[in-house]
Amino acid sequence: MSPILSVRGLAKHFGGVAAVQGVDLDLPAGLITALVGPNGAGKTTLFNLITGAVEADTGRVMLAGTELARRTPARMARLGVARSFQDLRLFQSMSVQANVLTAIEPHAWFWQPGGRRAHARRLQATEMALAETGLSALADALAAELAYAERKFLSLARILATGAQIWLLDEPASGLDPASRARFSALLRKHAGQGVAICLVEHNLDIVSALADRIVFLDQGRKLAEGEPQAILRDPALAAIYFGERRA
Amino acid sequence: MLVLQLLASGLQTGALYALTAAGFALIFGATRLFHFAHGATYALAGYAFVLADHAGLPWPIGCLIALAVAVAFGLFTDIAIYRPIQRHSASFFTVFVAAFGVVIFIQSALEITFGRSFIAVSSALTHASQILPGLYLAQVFWVAIAVTVLVFGALGWFLSRSNSGIALRALAENTELLRAYGLSARRFSALAFALGSALVVPGAVLGAATTGLSPVVASHVMLVSLAASVVGGIGSLRGAAFGGFLLGIAENLVVAVLDTQWSEAAGFVVLFAFILLRPSGLFGTAVAR
Amino acid sequence: MSAYLLNLAELGTIFALLSLSLNVLIGYGGIFSVAHAVFFGVGAYAGAQIALHLAPDVLLAALGGGLAAGVLSFALALPALRVRGEYFVVASLGLQMVATTVFTEAQGITGGYGGLVGIPPPSLFGLDISSPRLFLSVCIAILLAVMAGVHALMRGSFGRSLMAVRDSESAAEAFGKIVPILKTLAVVLGCIIAGAAGGLFALQMSFVNVESFTLDQSVLIMAMVIIGGVGTLLGPLLGTALLLLLPAALSFLPGIPPTELGAVQQGIYGLAMTLLMIFRPGGIAGRAEGRR
Ligand SMILES: Nc1ncnc2c1ncn2[C@@H]1O[C@H](COP(=O)(O)OP(=O)(O)OP(=O)(O)O)[C@@H](O)[C@H]1O
Ligand SMILES: [Mg+2]
Repeated sequence: MSPILSVRGLAKHFGGVAAVQGVDLDLPAGLITALVGPNGAGKTTLFNLITGAVEADTGRVMLAGTELARRTPARMARLGVARSFQDLRLFQSMSVQANVLTAIEPHAWFWQPGGRRAHARRLQATEMALAETGLSALADALAAELAYAERKFLSLARILATGAQIWLLDEPASGLDPASRARFSALLRKHAGQGVAICLVEHNLDIVSALADRIVFLDQGRKLAEGEPQAILRDPALAAIYFGERRA
Repeated sequence: MLVLQLLASGLQTGALYALTAAGFALIFGATRLFHFAHGATYALAGYAFVLADHAGLPWPIGCLIALAVAVAFGLFTDIAIYRPIQRHSASFFTVFVAAFGVVIFIQSALEITFGRSFIAVSSALTHASQILPGLYLAQVFWVAIAVTVLVFGALGWFLSRSNSGIALRALAENTELLRAYGLSARRFSALAFALGSALVVPGAVLGAATTGLSPVVASHVMLVSLAASVVGGIGSLRGAAFGGFLLGIAENLVVAVLDTQWSEAAGFVVLFAFILLRPSGLFGTAVAR
Repeated sequence: MSAYLLNLAELGTIFALLSLSLNVLIGYGGIFSVAHAVFFGVGAYAGAQIALHLAPDVLLAALGGGLAAGVLSFALALPALRVRGEYFVVASLGLQMVATTVFTEAQGITGGYGGLVGIPPPSLFGLDISSPRLFLSVCIAILLAVMAGVHALMRGSFGRSLMAVRDSESAAEAFGKIVPILKTLAVVLGCIIAGAAGGLFALQMSFVNVESFTLDQSVLIMAMVIIGGVGTLLGPLLGTALLLLLPAALSFLPGIPPTELGAVQQGIYGLAMTLLMIFRPGGIAGRAEGRR
């Protein structure tokens, strides 16, 4: 299957730190790709480079074959690339419903185009995203008042509602209890089944092996390996790097 | 010769701005706080010196009193205002409003106690004599330059040789470090507030001896420290010092072409130019959001 | 109602407009400007000039004032909003200082220190409304209309977008928000309302000079918003009422010489802002816990 998003040779230095060094990545539609690697491997930075939140030193990003130069987060969002943040970055002082609704109101004007009918459609998309993430009952609660797992699901609901076809999820499952984790996995599976290309950063290798179709292993900004979960997870050299026993 | 004369007074003003702004930058570096109340520290130190002088105390005692007031007030703002706020909110704006409130409060308190008008100490140091045809310099010029050089020398020595100084500098250069050390950074924040506040004393004392003081110096100095830090590059000590000189000189040189009312405005035109064209300042690197 | 109370009520509606407008910036946009009195001033001078040279029509003065302030704020906001919020505060402080000098020096337009005097009594579509009661009613009508408009905008997608940007700029961008445009719109909207308030102020006072547009005034407006409660509809109104009644309340206290009244007020604003930030950052009308 040809990849819907592909990345070639992305690189970024922060002063003396080479955070990402010439990484290639392909995200095919309908597959879940797990990005794993020790702390500081450059996983979050790679997302930042793809979305243009951080300007890359070199490298290219292609969406369905078209190269995207001069990326900005807003433009990437409009092109259907949605991302979550490791620290969630919910809109704390807004209600759960408003958090999701505003995520699908991107027009920078005093009102959105399309009138009442478009607004009703957005309300419906919001409702569906909240239902799917189990947050319907909390629609009027403030984001700041949610429990930990609910906050994680809200960050997912914002993405769901956008209908984006590419999801970049930064540690969306970390710290979830087993029941929530199962719900989360089912959600991701379902949307991958509907053709969404998902890339998720995850430290828990159990989740990775259960959920991911492919693994990309990153260390010190370099891609060390890529392939089937079982092959990668069985590689003793990678395990040693991952668990910090030896540096490559 | 007018330009030379203005340049000289610009250097003198700039030297004192440089010290004050360096104090602001030092505090910002170690704590990431925009210490708007720095201007209030300056005003309090200056008024303390004037009071001591009017009470007939010799000037070294006056300087010590000013130093004590400055350091005590700096520490007070850290402990009584910034820390309680940071316990519940890390937002820049909460801190800003609180610090701004302090400046306004101190300014009004000074106004109520001492009146709106200028007060000054008279000093033999301010009698000017002709150095070159048309260039008059008072001894206070040399004092200002000498004090600035000495204090910056001492500060540089402290920051590069002593353990605490090196730690302070490391904190200023590396935000990650600040985050990683979390609580133990508190101790350094007190040190930075004490040291940074002490740096206003030369400016406050010499300001009292030359132009005099009025309550609005609190907001004026707040602006100057901020402007110098922005021009120099936020968090850079060297930049703040340089920015202070630049603002002092700009304020004075503009008098060569415009009325004196414009001198304060000139400093801010420089500030705007930097904010628009080079927001990272002269020595700063772009600060990550 | 006595003339004193009517006068206070007129000023109250004008300042309510001002704090309402600053609340769009601070409360919803998270944009801190310490130069709001500058836009109030530009609107007042524009309104005064219109009244002096065209007609002392209330709506004309308000529209003209709003237009002048809006255009100026647009020119300034576009570049200034590219930088971080901290810098914007610093830039606005600088603007306030420069503007005070400009207001004093640009005698042809502002009348310098003496100000613009002899502004004719207000009218509306040619009808004389110089009676305080009528003028007050018109001001209140304008205030209510603006409040309704701002309320509708802030409850709609624009308000949500602004608040999203305030809460997390990077997340808002990641959902397609174009942050500079949203912030510019907020600033221009707020400054148009401030300018309109200035136009009304010129007609209410029949005299304007630079003293009403200094840093002290910016601080007063900011204090109204912050003490009342940022980001709420009624907070700024509450703050306005409290701070406008403060001078009257103070004059009942013995032992404060009238010449010190201004300084005492400023001192109270300062202290109140600091204490609120420590103990109740949401303001009087806001929620009790601190917001991140
Ligand atoms: N804005 C920045 N400025 C300076 N250095 C940065 C910046 N962002 C990331 N880095 C550095 O780049 C390297 C990679 O960081 P990154 O956050 O991408 O790692 P990560 O793989 O996401 O780690 P973790 O698992 O801890 O989230 C680290 O050394 C980090 O300190
Ligand atoms: Mg990360």
